[in-house]
Amino acid sequence: MTPSATAQATTRRFVRADGPDKVTGSGRYTADLSLTGTLVAKFRYAQVSHARITKLDVSAARAMPGVFAVITDADVPDVRFGPMVQDRRLFARDVVRFEGEIVAAVAAVDAETAQRAVDAIVVEYSPLPIVNDVESALSPDSPLVHEDWADYGAPGVMVRNRNDASYASIAKGDVDKALAEADFVVRSHYESDGCHAAPIEPRAVVAQWEGNKVTIWTSTQVPFDARAGVCETLELPSSRVRIIVPHLGGGFGGKCGFHYEAHVAALARIAKRPVKLVFSRREEFLAPDKRREGIVYDFETGVKADGTIIARKARLVIDNGAYTADAGFFSQLAAMHALGPYKIPNVLSEAHLAYTNHQPSGSVRAPTAPQTCWALESHTDEVANKLGMDPVAFRKLNAVDSNVEGPSGQTYGEIGVQQCIDAATAAAGYGKPLADDEAIGVAIGWWPSFASASGAYIKIDGDGSGQIITGAQECGTGAVMTLRQLAADELGMQPEDFELVYQDTSAAPYDMGATGSQTLFNNGRAVIAAAGQIADQLRELAANKLEAAAADIVLADGMAHVAGSPDRGVAIAKLAATAANGELLIGHGSGPPPPAAKAVGNTCVGDIGMTAWRAPQFSCHAVRVRLDRETGVVRVLRVSTAHDSGTIINHTGAQGQVEGGVMMGIGQALTEGTKYDDQARQRNAALLEYKLQTCADAPPIDVQFVEIYTPDAGPRGAKSLAEAPNVATAAAIGNAIAKLVGSPVRRLPMTAERVWETINAGNAS
Amino acid sequence: MSQAFESQSFNLNVNGVDYPVNVEMDRNLLSVIRTEIGLTGTKEGCDDCECGACMVLLDGQPVNSCSYLAVQAQGRAITTIEGVMTGDEMHPLQRNILEEGGVQCGFCTPGMILSAHALLERNAAPSEEEVRIGLSGNLCRCTGYTKIVAAVQRTAVELRS
Amino acid sequence: MSFTIAHTVDEALAAMAAGARAIAGGTDLVVGARHGKAALPGNLVAIDRLTELKSVTTTKDGVSIGALVTHHDIEMHPLLSTSYAGLADGSALVGSPSTRHIGTLGGNIMNASPAMDTGAPLAVMRAEIELRSVRGSRRVPIEELWTAPGKTSAQPDELCVAIHIPAPATRSNSAYVRLEYRRAMEIAVVGAAAFVALNDDGTIAALRVGLTAVSPTIFTGDLVGQIGRSVSDAAENAAKVSMEQATPISDVRASDSYRRHTVGVMARRAVEAAARRAAGETIAIPVNRAIGIGAAS
Repeated sequence: MTPSATAQATTRRFVRADGPDKVTGSGRYTADLSLTGTLVAKFRYAQVSHARITKLDVSAARAMPGVFAVITDADVPDVRFGPMVQDRRLFARDVVRFEGEIVAAVAAVDAETAQRAVDAIVVEYSPLPIVNDVESALSPDSPLVHEDWADYGAPGVMVRNRNDASYASIAKGDVDKALAEADFVVRSHYESDGCHAAPIEPRAVVAQWEGNKVTIWTSTQVPFDARAGVCETLELPSSRVRIIVPHLGGGFGGKCGFHYEAHVAALARIAKRPVKLVFSRREEFLAPDKRREGIVYDFETGVKADGTIIARKARLVIDNGAYTADAGFFSQLAAMHALGPYKIPNVLSEAHLAYTNHQPSGSVRAPTAPQTCWALESHTDEVANKLGMDPVAFRKLNAVDSNVEGPSGQTYGEIGVQQCIDAATAAAGYGKPLADDEAIGVAIGWWPSFASASGAYIKIDGDGSGQIITGAQECGTGAVMTLRQLAADELGMQPEDFELVYQDTSAAPYDMGATGSQTLFNNGRAVIAAAGQIADQLRELAANKLEAAAADIVLADGMAHVAGSPDRGVAIAKLAATAANGELLIGHGSGPPPPAAKAVGNTCVGDIGMTAWRAPQFSCHAVRVRLDRETGVVRVLRVSTAHDSGTIINHTGAQGQVEGGVMMGIGQALTEGTKYDDQARQRNAALLEYKLQTCADAPPIDVQFVEIYTPDAGPRGAKSLAEAPNVATAAAIGNAIAKLVGSPVRRLPMTAERVWETINAGNAS
Repeated sequence: MSQAFESQSFNLNVNGVDYPVNVEMDRNLLSVIRTEIGLTGTKEGCDDCECGACMVLLDGQPVNSCSYLAVQAQGRAITTIEGVMTGDEMHPLQRNILEEGGVQCGFCTPGMILSAHALLERNAAPSEEEVRIGLSGNLCRCTGYTKIVAAVQRTAVELRS
Repeated sequence: MSFTIAHTVDEALAAMAAGARAIAGGTDLVVGARHGKAALPGNLVAIDRLTELKSVTTTKDGVSIGALVTHHDIEMHPLLSTSYAGLADGSALVGSPSTRHIGTLGGNIMNASPAMDTGAPLAVMRAEIELRSVRGSRRVPIEELWTAPGKTSAQPDELCVAIHIPAPATRSNSAYVRLEYRRAMEIAVVGAAAFVALNDDGTIAALRVGLTAVSPTIFTGDLVGQIGRSVSDAAENAAKVSMEQATPISDVRASDSYRRHTVGVMARRAVEAAARRAAGETIAIPVNRAIGIGAAS
């Protein structure tokens, strides 16, 4: 896409459209809604990690006064679903495979009655062997999480075998020969625990039937995907299902996918009342099939004495959990992150997605990337240390660059990874002397941009005020809010001239949702196209009025005027009034996504998502930490970041994405990790034991953008942004800790106790 | 376990208005504010005093309404996010958090504003460290806190001048 | 089933004599009931309006802190935050800013959690707890109050009305430090309080150490063997004794071996901080945020 001929980019700051609702408390989130006669939904969960259901009796619960519906697998269509592998049902049938699996659902007059009914459901189990870690899941004698895995529907390109739900590899050159020829070969092993998206709003769903149509208000990041899930599992056409998302209290991937909309709709249909589900924080931890996956990593990298990387082998085993959800493509993403943004001539990167009896994994902000970046970049520092090279110089030498071949054989056009390294390390004061309990660690990361179909309408009413009606979903990032800026710039108006109608599948055309950092990247294009249609209409109207050629009309500052003659003009509002009596000002936009990047060589990443990376974003984080050597407690003192996300459209919003992504990364680095007991149940499903970073922990964060106009990407040469800032922080922290300890902490999160253990191991050896 | 508690009738003064309520003794203030009184700006994020989304002011002091019995709030002045504005005019904290870009998903925002409000009431010129400690009971997952802290500091300067 | 609001201590005692349970801020009770720890008592008497229990008064023996004095009040109190600094250190670390505003010292003590932050400092300062009922009043040394996690030696009808702390001798003071994984919203993984009195030559005149979250109740030891030693020796020995005496468990927050190691570190740091204060130095409240890894940077 080329820059629009007329657009004047808004550079001033403007307040987000949903902001006043949010700061005054008048904005409604899903849990805030109530409809007359609303019942309360509650679920009966498996509570055991792997067992066969030998008895399920809901008759006592159904008979309780105040209970309007109790449903199980027997009460919903016989559908097995899943976006990649069809391995899941709404309710457990025969076997439960993780503690948060839903066995039954209740709708009752109030929460207490619903809970009593849930407790009155009789379920008996006979235990099955539990698969509690990924390595043993892949052993040939491991019990199967899904006995019938081979019969499940799945895309033909997915490579599946027993507990391995998805295998992917990237191979280039002759890796074994190159490793044999290397001057040094460094081998490393790392492990990362799973962790959670943990949005502050627990999810909520309200469903109401009118006739044979259902409206579902839900806290989803992906309304169209949620609709598709309801349609598939309840066997309804999409025209009879309307998904509306009130304000959404954060997602971070955790509210992607299709969740409980169908359960609540099914309850509401049987109960003949509106039904509302609101999760407790504990349910938020245990039940969703969206949490960040734990991974086990083995790396082997061969380098020449001059510091050049000539070969890398990587083997990763990813914890899929009990169901695949949207994790089917994680093996290919992780395989790519295991290579990193480095030019390596010979590679073999393999990743397995192993079923276990844990909570299912699914997209959480840059899935597989932060933890794989942490492992790879820790390994990268180990390689640099082996060479006796400064780790930053080692990265500068080996990182990909503009028009240089990357590890999978693809080249990426003009990119800013080298500038990011320079900018972040300069801001951090890398190389300057530090106190002996402080160090700066550096890491680089990357993340692709995702293209998708996406649509929007715009209308300008007779009073000159505009509305953007879009399928896009706002999860807090401000991406939808920024659409106003794009429309305003196209039409010579102000962002405040537009209101947004969004998050309603029956009002607006399709958009993929707040997932894959794709909102502005794709829906921005749709909004610009829609605004362009109105701009053409306005130019025609102005041309008639001003007796000029339409091609000579410029839209700026709320006026349509003749190019070169600012005083020969007419107010856009006046043209809108004219249009209101004739051909209305309505634009629609969609258009084809930018062309896919060309696949090169044997990249062989399974073809589930994309064969080549489109408009990849690059980042460098340099983090200064302090270590309490006696306790292993680590404190992050400053985070200096630089990002190449192409052109930045909304700087305030973009900064906020980086600051938030960094903070999440600090949590992943130090305090956020799921702990399992020997029965594969979570031990720390509460915010006191699963520790998010507080305001008192947050360090100063330097934010710099290396802005490079990127063709075949988002609007105005933009790439995506929201996930990328989460990629490199934990890795940079790990490298700083390793400098202070003398060796890397090999398990993420690098809790104080693990750091202390690493220090002790070093002292002992 | 689920012992039934008797209902009690009493008044709750929320944002200067007396609301007669009739609720069970074990009901928390949060649910009564949201359900009986109908003000939904106060959010429930954890029900455990760990996230701060349910923060209200009780006689000006910050309280996690999720873990405070409604009956115990009678006779006290309760302020929720809906009571922070003066007429149609936003409190400077609300305006500044908005203008600084300190709002993303907005779910933590009401509680954050009330904690900041209480902080500035007791300390008109807080240092950055005092702001950070003062807001440490309010978790935000979106912003990294930077712009929120900036907004509170900017408000402190404004209110002093 | 009843909820009453007491306006005088006598009203509260009468209600308790009739079987009611006292509730101040109520956080522990409400959260505990939600987690199934103990059902919310059917009869409650709210004591949060008893202004007579909200004052801090200096006596000839030391200081008396009303049971309803909040953690925030203690942190900000000019006398408590200087002469009884270890208690202020502990109060300043409790929960969140809102918990510190609503949470009272009496409530914290009577909750009898081995992880409470005010317990160890009160113990090393040899605080006494004043319990009152319609039957009369008595004082209990604080270590005799706690009998097991969540259990006290108080009778159900006894209300904690005050905490009495003896005045520290000249050249003496206290400190409390704890291990934290983040700078706020923490519960003690381990913690240690120290009370130090110094001789004129700077050697130890008295040393007591209290440990948090490493035994079923707050552990305290009077380290008489350290009298006459240098502060640094005494601090090292306090660390050693603490590690030996601790009986920590492994749980979701830490392993027993990590707890045992870090409680020694905390004990040494507490002794060092208390000694610096005893020597006249001001270390801001709380020590955790004034020096070391948790200091503002």
